[in-house]
Amino acid sequence: MSRSQAASCHSLVVRMPGPVDPAALRRRLRDGAAGILPEPDGLRLWEETLPRGADDDAVRARVHREALRPLRRGGPPLRAVLLRPADGDPDADATLVLVARRHLALGGPDPLVLAHWPDGAGTPRPADADRPALEWGLGDPSAAGRAGEVAVPLSGPAVTAGTALLHASVALVLARYGEGEQVDETRTAAEFTGEWRQRTTPGSDTPRLPSGIGVLVEDGIPGQRHLPYLAPALPGLLHATRHPDGTVSAVLHYGHGDLNPCVAERFAAHVAHVAVQLADRPEAPLDTVDLLTPEEREHVLRLGVTPPAGPPEATARTVDGLFADVARERPDAIALTAGDTRLTYAELDARAEQTAAGLRSLDVAPGSMVGVALERDADLVVTLLGVLKAGCAYVPMDLGHPPERLRYTVDDAGAEVVVASDGILPGSSAVRTVTPAALRALGAAEPPAPPRPEDPSAPAYVIYTSGSTGRPKGVVVPHRSVAALVDATREDFRLTGDDVWTLFHSSAFDFSVWEIWGCLLTGGRLVVVDYWTARDTEQFHDLLSRERVTVLNQTPSAFAQLVETDRRADTELTLRLVIFGGEPLDVRMLVPWFARHSHTACRLVNMFGITETTVHVTAHTVTPHDVLAAGRQVGPALPGWTLSVRDPRGRVLPIGAAGEICVGGAGVADRYLGQPELTAERFVTDPHGGGRIYRSGDRGRLRPDGSLDHLGRLDSQVKVRGHRIELDEIRNVLLSHPEVTGAATVLGHDVPGDPATARIDAYVTLRGPAGTAELLAHARGMLPSYMVPATVTELDALPLTINGKVDTAALPAPGAPARSAPAAGAPVTAGSANEDDDPLAAQILKLWSHALNADVTSQDNFFELGGNSLLVIRVLREMREQGLPKVTTQDLYRNSTAGRFIELVRNARS
Amino acid sequence: MTTTLRPAAALAPADGRLHGRTAVVTGAARGLGRSCAVRFAAEGADLVLVDVAEDLPGVPYPLGSGSQLDHTAELCRAHGAAVVTATADVRDPAAVDRVAGLALDRFGTVDVLLNNAGIAAPSGKAVHEIAEDEWDLMVGIDLTGAWRMTKAVVPAMIEQRSGSVVNVASTAGLVGYRHFAGYVAAKHGLIGLTKAAALDYAPFRVRVNALCPGSVRDDPLHEGRMLAEIARSLDVDVEEHEEIFVQSQPMNALIEPQDIAGAALWLAGDDSRQVTGTTLTVDGGFSAR
Repeated sequence: MSRSQAASCHSLVVRMPGPVDPAALRRRLRDGAAGILPEPDGLRLWEETLPRGADDDAVRARVHREALRPLRRGGPPLRAVLLRPADGDPDADATLVLVARRHLALGGPDPLVLAHWPDGAGTPRPADADRPALEWGLGDPSAAGRAGEVAVPLSGPAVTAGTALLHASVALVLARYGEGEQVDETRTAAEFTGEWRQRTTPGSDTPRLPSGIGVLVEDGIPGQRHLPYLAPALPGLLHATRHPDGTVSAVLHYGHGDLNPCVAERFAAHVAHVAVQLADRPEAPLDTVDLLTPEEREHVLRLGVTPPAGPPEATARTVDGLFADVARERPDAIALTAGDTRLTYAELDARAEQTAAGLRSLDVAPGSMVGVALERDADLVVTLLGVLKAGCAYVPMDLGHPPERLRYTVDDAGAEVVVASDGILPGSSAVRTVTPAALRALGAAEPPAPPRPEDPSAPAYVIYTSGSTGRPKGVVVPHRSVAALVDATREDFRLTGDDVWTLFHSSAFDFSVWEIWGCLLTGGRLVVVDYWTARDTEQFHDLLSRERVTVLNQTPSAFAQLVETDRRADTELTLRLVIFGGEPLDVRMLVPWFARHSHTACRLVNMFGITETTVHVTAHTVTPHDVLAAGRQVGPALPGWTLSVRDPRGRVLPIGAAGEICVGGAGVADRYLGQPELTAERFVTDPHGGGRIYRSGDRGRLRPDGSLDHLGRLDSQVKVRGHRIELDEIRNVLLSHPEVTGAATVLGHDVPGDPATARIDAYVTLRGPAGTAELLAHARGMLPSYMVPATVTELDALPLTINGKVDTAALPAPGAPARSAPAAGAPVTAGSANEDDDPLAAQILKLWSHALNADVTSQDNFFELGGNSLLVIRVLREMREQGLPKVTTQDLYRNSTAGRFIELVRNARS
Repeated sequence: MTTTLRPAAALAPADGRLHGRTAVVTGAARGLGRSCAVRFAAEGADLVLVDVAEDLPGVPYPLGSGSQLDHTAELCRAHGAAVVTATADVRDPAAVDRVAGLALDRFGTVDVLLNNAGIAAPSGKAVHEIAEDEWDLMVGIDLTGAWRMTKAVVPAMIEQRSGSVVNVASTAGLVGYRHFAGYVAAKHGLIGLTKAAALDYAPFRVRVNALCPGSVRDDPLHEGRMLAEIARSLDVDVEEHEEIFVQSQPMNALIEPQDIAGAALWLAGDDSRQVTGTTLTVDGGFSAR
């Protein structure tokens, strides 16, 4: 049945007191249709008997089915069906169902007398077919066209207060859901209801129905029930009936394709709850009106809570204390593999003890922050553990970050000692740099430390994340949160000493916290992946196979490359668990993976997480079914974590409505280091008894089963290849250049929807003659490479919205990628890559041009044209596919100018 | 020995697989038509039940009656179905159009058409012995009748871009039977019609499939008598015919009417939504030899 056909019909159910004489009824119908229907005598009365012994529910369902059955296209404009009990007594009541096209009016004092619809005004139009789905509806697209209805449970004064109250209530509920018109909540209930009384007065303009939810008011007649549409003409239609006694009742008709039945029921309840409050307390300001009853709020909050997996004492531990337990239990098991280095748990424990002793010898007191700036190798893990054993917190730093940022981190953290290789950290008088080996040598001479009681609340690490002020902020995470993370996942992920993990990620990215401690606190073997292997998916794939890795953690962008490599690989993987984190997962990229690997043999888990809540928050096991559904589900809270979704005023939102994701429970970090105001703003005490909660700034919505949909960021934070970036931080760095007067930064994609081509475009207004190349150099000196804009475009003025904010939609397409000016005297030989002269150069330039979406010349630098680690892999793969010699990732990084790269390939070939 | 299967209802409990659908069933007064109609009703369908409901000159055995048709309707209503009955000879174009109009006026649409009306006799003659009117009678009902119903009902299915036509053919549509040329030709033709119609309507997501029952027991509950009539045409002793037909089916059992209803239900419903132009044989293994 086509939906438009059903939406063009309406129906009336009439209770017919017995005895009912069908022949007489048919005559009355024909008389009533005279002058209205072209052939009233042809009107047929269909008679149906209801099954013997059918209960009330079955009869109601049967009547409802008749009332929802549309007319055929081009057929008679009215159908009359009489339903009577089978072989019942002739005096029994019967039910008459009339279905008509909407141009005929149904109902009235005598329902058997037909009329033309007086005037179509005031009735909502059927929805446009292509209207976007209600974000909060959680509808099931496969059920589109199926109609549902739920009563609006009005009570008390709301029943007698008139229908303007209903309009006002719907408007306020929609505003709270983040849909429809914004409402000034300082106004009183009486003012707001009065406004809607004005707006719905006959003669005034029909009120615009906000966001696909309509309100239809009709006068009701006892014994009659009118269905205004047979198919959902709108996602939701609140059908209010004014009864002769002055009371009002209402039913919400909805489409299953638009509204989940559970959401529809709650929406109806919210309208009723709000209506009662508006009617009850006319002088109350709207901001005191609750959307949820206390019971529902309690229910929604409980839905977001996953109880801890273990007893409280399991998480009241320190990381080093838990490690010591494992080391005692399995001293001879291999804890760490890094290149040729293999350390048993006992050896790792001993080396870390020496490191801790070395720190003591430097008078580093427990509770201090210790900077760690090391390559990913065995020493890194030894040092991190040693810092913890000394009762200190580690402050990991990525050597890929510019010196300026490293210095900022050390200063901000107040670290007096930084463990780093010689000469890596720029000198600073206040900071002492020491190598891991030197530290252990110092420690060897130290007497053993007296035993120290475990302090689970002490900071374990401080990780710096992008901050919107332009300064990164240090997140202080205590030991107990890490203990809780391991406790939350150990059972569900079946983490055991048989597992082999990789340490793939930078220690400055908190995914590594999970990799290191998730492995070592459950007795597994940690395989350290060095920088270059992590950047070459073929080498990495070999390593996964060779080391028989079972647990792998990846950002979806990185895993997408691995999937490509895996398609062509001969070697078998032994993975049993893959965990995605760091950025949203587009499940469609998993299609080739699922084609090769059973999801029962290797479980894929998508985890949504935030540094401020200890790496992870939720877990969702991804199956091939998810690939078909292509949803945004990230699953329920981890055991011990809690989730809720709140509006900008901190009020708990109902299931379905999108708002800020708030996280509570075991993972909530201590604070932002040295930023009490920001801490107080983001880490708040839950007025609803949920303890400390972190306001994430992420948008999400809860589903009826307690799982979360992640819907992006509320502010300007973006993700580029797993890196969390505040666009405002980049903007502030650009603004710090003396010649820049205005700046804007936006996330763009060379190929829409392809995360590998994500890049940041910057727009600036300049007071002086600074070139964009100079600005890039400036940015490169202050920002990690993944934050450096791919393009800088100079504008005369930044387009602004009426609110004075940069109008990103009005920015022009970015200019040509910002190239370094050719070095003075360098020969710029245009056309030197002519295909006839130099087919190899032409081939490679073509490849680069395609990957970088730019016209590449031999002077151009891969990374200055927006190249990134994912595009490196893509280019190298395409080269191999075209039969060019194999070039390592490292080679491209070291020869990133096209000309040099071409020579490299030429030499490799000869 | 005849093995009695458990009733199909026990194998597959009703779960509303045709909820909200409207099915037109021809030859619905008794036999397979009744069995399928009741099964459709149990799965939530509303029904238009069609039968010629009188004996036809030239058919040497009694056909379904009006009271049998009403009885099928009662059995369907007991499952909560809305039911319309219509008397029509599928050889009569006007009657067929009237049935389609009736179905659409009452229910707004038709989702399933089960072309089940058919006769097995006059048969029992070699090809050259078949008379003109005997041939026309057989082909007119068993083949042309299905085409005519399809022609009347499918436009509504095309309009709503969904629908399932199920043509009840026979193993006689797959192989020949001695002294059954008219029946065999009509049923072979019906399978050909099925394939061609499937191609015509596939772009509109209207599916057409054939169902080939083997030897179906004349279940007293459904008042079937097809098998007995075939036996009579073949000069098989009516007392022994079940035993003889069982021997030809490797499952060593006669097909029960509910076995056919289950297959028809599958073809009618969404479980077979990518199946069109196919022939589903339910013959206890007869055609596997």
